[in-house]
Amino acid sequence: MRKRLPGWLADAALILYFVFSLFPVAWMAILSLKPANQLFSTYFSFTPTLDAYRTVLGGSEGIPFVRFFGNSLVVSVGAVALSLVVGLPAAYASARWRFKGSEHLMFTLLSFRFAPELTVIIPLFVLYQKLGLFDTYTGMVWVLQLVTLPLVVWIMRSYFADLSPELEQAALLDGYSRTQAFFKVALPLVKPGIAAVSLLAFIFAWNNFVFPLILTSHEAQTVTVGALSFLGGDRPKYHLTAAAALVSVVPPLLLALTIQRYLVRGLSFGAVKS
Amino acid sequence: MSIALRDVRKSYGRTTALDGLDLDVREGEFFCLLGPSGAGKTTTLKTVAGLERPDAGTVEIDGRDMRDVEPYDRGVAMCFESYALYPHRSVYDNLVSPLRSPRHRLPAAEARDRVGAVAELLGIGGLLDRMPGQLSNGQRQRVALGRVLVRPARAFLLDEPLSHLDAKLRQQMRAELKAIGAVRRTTTLYVTHDSVEALALGDRIGVIRAGRIVQTGTREDIWYRPYDTEVARAFGRPRINLLPGAVTGSGTFRSPDGALELPLPLRVAAGTEVLVGVRPRDVSLTGEGHRLTGTVYVTEVLGRSVEVTVRIGAQHLSLVASRAEAAGLRPDDPVRPAVRPEHLLVFEADRAGVPGRRIGTSP
Amino acid sequence: MRRTLRPYLLVVPALLLTCGILYPFGLGLYYTLFDFSAAKPQPDLVRWENYRAVFTQDAFWNSAWVTVLYAVGAAGAETVLGVSVALLLHRSSRVGRILEKILILPLMIAPVIAAIIWKLMLQPSVGVVNHLLEPFGLGGVQWTDTPTGALLSSIAVDVWVYTPFVAILALAGLRSLPASPFEAAAVDGAGWWYTFRRLTLPMLWPYVLVAVIFRFMDSLKVFDIIYALTEGGPGDSTVVLQIRAYLEAIRFQRYSFGISYTIVLWAVVYLAATVLVRHLGRIQRKAAEVSG
Repeated sequence: MRKRLPGWLADAALILYFVFSLFPVAWMAILSLKPANQLFSTYFSFTPTLDAYRTVLGGSEGIPFVRFFGNSLVVSVGAVALSLVVGLPAAYASARWRFKGSEHLMFTLLSFRFAPELTVIIPLFVLYQKLGLFDTYTGMVWVLQLVTLPLVVWIMRSYFADLSPELEQAALLDGYSRTQAFFKVALPLVKPGIAAVSLLAFIFAWNNFVFPLILTSHEAQTVTVGALSFLGGDRPKYHLTAAAALVSVVPPLLLALTIQRYLVRGLSFGAVKS
Repeated sequence: MSIALRDVRKSYGRTTALDGLDLDVREGEFFCLLGPSGAGKTTTLKTVAGLERPDAGTVEIDGRDMRDVEPYDRGVAMCFESYALYPHRSVYDNLVSPLRSPRHRLPAAEARDRVGAVAELLGIGGLLDRMPGQLSNGQRQRVALGRVLVRPARAFLLDEPLSHLDAKLRQQMRAELKAIGAVRRTTTLYVTHDSVEALALGDRIGVIRAGRIVQTGTREDIWYRPYDTEVARAFGRPRINLLPGAVTGSGTFRSPDGALELPLPLRVAAGTEVLVGVRPRDVSLTGEGHRLTGTVYVTEVLGRSVEVTVRIGAQHLSLVASRAEAAGLRPDDPVRPAVRPEHLLVFEADRAGVPGRRIGTSP
Repeated sequence: MRRTLRPYLLVVPALLLTCGILYPFGLGLYYTLFDFSAAKPQPDLVRWENYRAVFTQDAFWNSAWVTVLYAVGAAGAETVLGVSVALLLHRSSRVGRILEKILILPLMIAPVIAAIIWKLMLQPSVGVVNHLLEPFGLGGVQWTDTPTGALLSSIAVDVWVYTPFVAILALAGLRSLPASPFEAAAVDGAGWWYTFRRLTLPMLWPYVLVAVIFRFMDSLKVFDIIYALTEGGPGDSTVVLQIRAYLEAIRFQRYSFGISYTIVLWAVVYLAATVLVRHLGRIQRKAAEVSG
């Protein structure tokens, strides 16, 4: 083809983008390794130390970061588990049968994906205080369904829809009940989908900020809110913030690398398959 | 076990799959359901199996209404056109699946023997450890068939079980299928779009078109007394000759240009527009019968015999002759083919989209 | 009639949970008809007063304007940059194949953490950006301390996080395009630009549009990035609608009034979604014609 970008120039453009994309994370690592007394005096040359991590994980700034980390783990896993238990049957039903109200439910769930979070959170803020759910795991798991349930139902529906119903029909004729056909045939075949959607839902739950910001205060607070609190106070502690930010992105990044292949379908709610 | 469908209707959204279908399959017979794709063959099978719920009408098995009977309680085994093999299980696990189910459970050792025997029968004994993804289409087809045969069933429902095989394998499997004892003894509803297969296998044949059964009968019924021109066209290669014309005052058939005149085997009112059907193998170059005069248009060798197309006025008549008879025939050579009136089928003329019905005994 | 009931039984738990989310939404809607606030726990019915107040407030129109600027700017920049990156990666050069593996990195970082990272980078004293720009005579830029700078900085963070989102969707689209039209164009000797404009772009557009819809709707309701980066400042320059709702409802504890803001935003998002999704349907049909 004529008039095409020369290869080296295209590669250079790509590298430029990836510098933009990766440098902030790299610099965050650098910042987190700086000793407090060289924070303002230098940029790239300093004596690296793990002090910032010790402080953050030791909770000596009055911010129990390790507990926040644990909270994030608990509420994210809890939200994903609840969404799977509730969402898988719904996804299966709406992929397999046309029934009244099915599309309404699906679109209500989809609209959650695009609803401004505060529309739900502010009333919940009032409601939770009445119900005693403010700053609790239960309250967080409940509200996180706004994020995880639509994801699980929509993506799993697209996986179930890709599966020929004749496989389950064959199981019925082999002498299995519908429940057994689901567990023996349909479920094992969408296992990769379940794994991918669970991890993605976990990442989104983990990365959520606005729910814990408003609906927790100390007991059930998560890492995203926790990391930001290092910036508060009279004298912001930049190296500690950097360390906390880095620690908090480790789980989602590790998980993301394992589900790269399934990301396209997940991120587009099943609209684009790769 | 006998199967009966009464006025069964089923539609998916705006498309009608079954449009008042009636069907009777008798105890122990091998019934072939023949029709083009989209005619409702698979829907019929799935309705019998209980996988599809009819919108209206009833399905009876052994005289019992199946309305609220679940598929696993109907005692039927089905082979899907898509094979529907469990992709995540080995061939052995696929085959043994019915024998591990709550309905047909056998002790493990017995199940193993049974699977072994069926696998041997179908020549897939060496494939038991493979996954379905590693098999050829022919092998998958056999595994799918095996999963049907391995379990006790009162009826087999087979959906185009040979369609994905290449011609040679198909012929071989066709012969084997009927030789399998279980198939010989058990009521079998067999769906196909291949008329040769239907004629070769079916004790009786049902011709399905647009969600209705057009004709049911033995292969002789279908062959000698086709319901309409479309059924007549569906069976036999080379295809039946259908010659347009009208009935004369003296009760004979005459083509529009008058070049072709034939005595009819039955009385039809004078002036009636008809199609006269005669199968190419019933027209001979040397035999007895009513002689026609024409010229050779083209000849085509079909192995041991030759299809000769003869031009008679504006009409073409194809016939099958032996190689000896056809030796030396060249285009434009004059020939005098013979037709016996008792081999003629008389149909009403086709009207826009509606195939003409055979005139004569009621269907 | 167990058979017809089955799908409903399977859906019941999800339905309950959905109601668990719809309930607070309905409750919020109900609250907007009252003057409920921390100062007034026994509210009075005020009917449409809250909405009237919203629409007559300059602050609302300012927020709406900022929100639109933010959404158009962010979604627009992400589309151009994301599609470009996808096209560059689609060549699958050796460099591209390596870089593709780490493409999604920013996308997996919580937006609030991304904002923290950029806040530190743009920070005047410890920030590295000004340090790096110094040799070019651009040191000392007041990134988040000027109204325009703050808005552009917020958009930049959004672009940093979400460009990979557009890129991986566009890349998936590029990889699923049928080969035959391109082979035909190559045989006809069509140039790169012609092929791109007449073939690649129309067929790719449905994929890109899915990404654009997601990004546009998401940035209309941006919260995390702005909350962490500027908290709406300086002044009111980056107070997008969700931030405004937060300030009203949580900071000033005027619940009813705050929720009214989010309801208005919800209506806007819903309207935008309807228009965009309809447009998507048209585009998909057109793309099918091009590739068909």
